[in-house]
Amino acid sequence: MSNWEEETKGPLITSCKQAARLVSIAMERRLTIRENCTMHIHLWMCRTCALYRRQIGILRKALTRHAEVLDNTPPSRCECLDANAKQRIKEVLTKSR
Amino acid sequence: MSVDRGNDIKQGPVSDPSGWVDKHGDYLYRYALMRVRNREAAENLVQETFLAALTARQSFTGRSTERTWMVGILKHKMIDTYRKSFREKSISEIQTDEEQTVDSFYDAAGNPGKYPKDWLPDPEKLLHSKEFWEILKDCMSRLPQRTAAAFSMRELDDLDTAQICKELSISPTNLWVILHRARLQLRECLERNWFEKKEDNV
Repeated sequence: MSNWEEETKGPLITSCKQAARLVSIAMERRLTIRENCTMHIHLWMCRTCALYRRQIGILRKALTRHAEVLDNTPPSRCECLDANAKQRIKEVLTKSR
Repeated sequence: MSVDRGNDIKQGPVSDPSGWVDKHGDYLYRYALMRVRNREAAENLVQETFLAALTARQSFTGRSTERTWMVGILKHKMIDTYRKSFREKSISEIQTDEEQTVDSFYDAAGNPGKYPKDWLPDPEKLLHSKEFWEILKDCMSRLPQRTAAAFSMRELDDLDTAQICKELSISPTNLWVILHRARLQLRECLERNWFEKKEDNV
């Protein structure tokens, strides 16, 4: 039932569970023509899965830009290494030199 | 690869190691904190990174900035941690766990147990919300360690399937199940902890 390899058979009308799986796979590899049709037919009919797809797309978009967020966070708003940890690491570094 | 906007943009040999903690400590710490489960683990990773950098400082070519070079070392350390979390359980066990979790989101007919709420925020706004990142980090730390590891490599470090599978010795199919589970769980956790409370603000 839950076949993660390429799907060559299987119904074109599918459940939300299978559709969500295809949505996720589509973020990782190119879907076969059949898989792609199955996914789009479902998304066309099902608002829930269309919403799911857009939400996990937003999640991906935000995460891929996390490095940029790190670079642009002003020190006053950042979560910083606390002073004790800094001191400890400095001591370890000095000892190791 | 992130663009280095730190104050260390000149090229050449490494700077004096006694200044490293003040220069790069906070950045490396935040970088690690998004990818590991707690403060102690992140602090340890930062320390290990500095120690490795100290040993390898002769090999620093100055082709990248000092910070980028250190982030590279930290990434290698992270992958070692990820590998360890994968070795603790067999792949077939992982696969079964993941499939069961995916199943728990649906009834026998494959319909979702809970329907998603209609939140579609502007991704730009999310990026600038400190609270969003805190909740996301919290949600990620609730994922099983292996799921979080694979998900971080894919979505935060932008590694492709082939690279991740090679590092973790798993098949693409294994990885896709793991990622699917991570997305289902994170979406649900974000909805519960952030969007339901923030409906007016996004």
